Amino acid sequence: MSSPARPDNAHAPFDYMVEVVDLRKSFGDHEVLKGVTLRVRPSEVVCVIGPSGSGKSTLLRCVNLLEQPTSGHVIIEGVDITQAGVDINRIRQKVGIVFQSFNLFPHLTVEQNLTLAPMKVQGRPREECVNRAHELLRRVGLEDKIHAYPDSLSGGQQQRVAIARALMMDPDVMLFDEVTSALDPELVKEVLDTMKELAAGGMTMIVVTHEMGFAREVSDRVIFMDEGVIVEEGPPEKIFSAPEKERTRAFLSRVL
Amino acid sequence: MAILAVFAPGEIIDKYFNLHYGLQYLPHLLYAARLTILLSLVGEFFGIIIGLAMALMRLSHHRLVRAPAVFYINLFRGTPLLVQLMFIYFALPFAGVNLEPIQAGMVGLALNSGAYVAEIFRAGIQSIHRGQMEAARSLGMSHAQAMRYVILPQAFRVVIPPLTNEFVALLKDSSLASVILVQELAYQMRALASATYNLTSYTEAAALYLIMTLPLSKLSDYLEKKLKVVKR
Repeated sequence: MSSPARPDNAHAPFDYMVEVVDLRKSFGDHEVLKGVTLRVRPSEVVCVIGPSGSGKSTLLRCVNLLEQPTSGHVIIEGVDITQAGVDINRIRQKVGIVFQSFNLFPHLTVEQNLTLAPMKVQGRPREECVNRAHELLRRVGLEDKIHAYPDSLSGGQQQRVAIARALMMDPDVMLFDEVTSALDPELVKEVLDTMKELAAGGMTMIVVTHEMGFAREVSDRVIFMDEGVIVEEGPPEKIFSAPEKERTRAFLSRVL
Repeated sequence: MAILAVFAPGEIIDKYFNLHYGLQYLPHLLYAARLTILLSLVGEFFGIIIGLAMALMRLSHHRLVRAPAVFYINLFRGTPLLVQLMFIYFALPFAGVNLEPIQAGMVGLALNSGAYVAEIFRAGIQSIHRGQMEAARSLGMSHAQAMRYVILPQAFRVVIPPLTNEFVALLKDSSLASVILVQELAYQMRALASATYNLTSYTEAAALYLIMTLPLSKLSDYLEKKLKVVKR
């Protein structure tokens, strides 16, 4: 058993960066997740595909407790965050998330969007945060936009800023919730390229996506969800070329 | 016959637009208008502080925090300001709370506007897309940090026009303080008229209220347009 714990991790070694065990989530009478179990190893890139309403986004949002699960467990780096008394604000710093609708802070510049949380939450000095912001914006190709307001950026640029903002917290896992769905087609590629680079750098990623090309090319494992359960999972070549389940085949025939 | 007399032009000018009395009243009315402005500013200032606190409590997930705010807002929006002022000035002394008229007026106006401002802030906060709160929380911010650094700065922009309108309403409502003997503009208006049997003070007071409120209404319209453009 390998022990991927980093020096800055206080707790015991863990095999999985993220473990989701028998997760259920209901909104009123409607059960959206009907017992989902998913384990993600460090540096693994997992893509979650499936029809809309299948529970993909809810699953992702349960991983950092933006949605409170009805039952089941979410374990991040060996810590069960569904237990009472867990400091969720600390856990969330390890779990970055990027949303479909970017959610940049419109009253702040790009630089302030990036530096706000590390300064206020982690108490890191301003200068260090600004330097790191420059570095990350350079990586996503937007260093020249550092003093711009989100309104003046294209959707693709905003989404890359959002990725950089999440990376400012030095997360161990990144969650992507249909991050290209709100983008004009010609802007999708620049965002996917940024994500590919991140994957190549060894980031653990859970990606909910409709981009089958990205899932096939970048992911280590593809999860197909439908009606609140994981129907089938496996390496991308198997899921896309030789799916076992009829529902998977039916879905892929519709989207490919 | 008396009615006909009122309609005679010379009579009207003499009664309502009398230059002699007008000039004589003006310094008194201007002095009283200062009190009107003071009352309104103090009322609005504390109204904003109370209103912000009540709005945040009103939006809490805890029933025990929410309930007092709901009670407060309902109480002060559901009863007339006139009754509130009279209660504070005439009824509270029997409970050992003795306030000067001006103090009672300020307290009443602050408490009353606090209830309206609370609803303005609540609407402002709720108008900010929930994705903003989620983004802030997902970066590890506490609820309080997210409010302070992300939600409220955006909500403040949204509430500036309705807050300006609220201030205009408050300035006009401050005239009710005349009933509890605060010697503000409306009080002075009546006092001068009954002392001299000339009604020009009413005309002048109305004009002074307009001079105070119209620029504020214009400012509100301007801010509404300007802030909308920024928000797109």
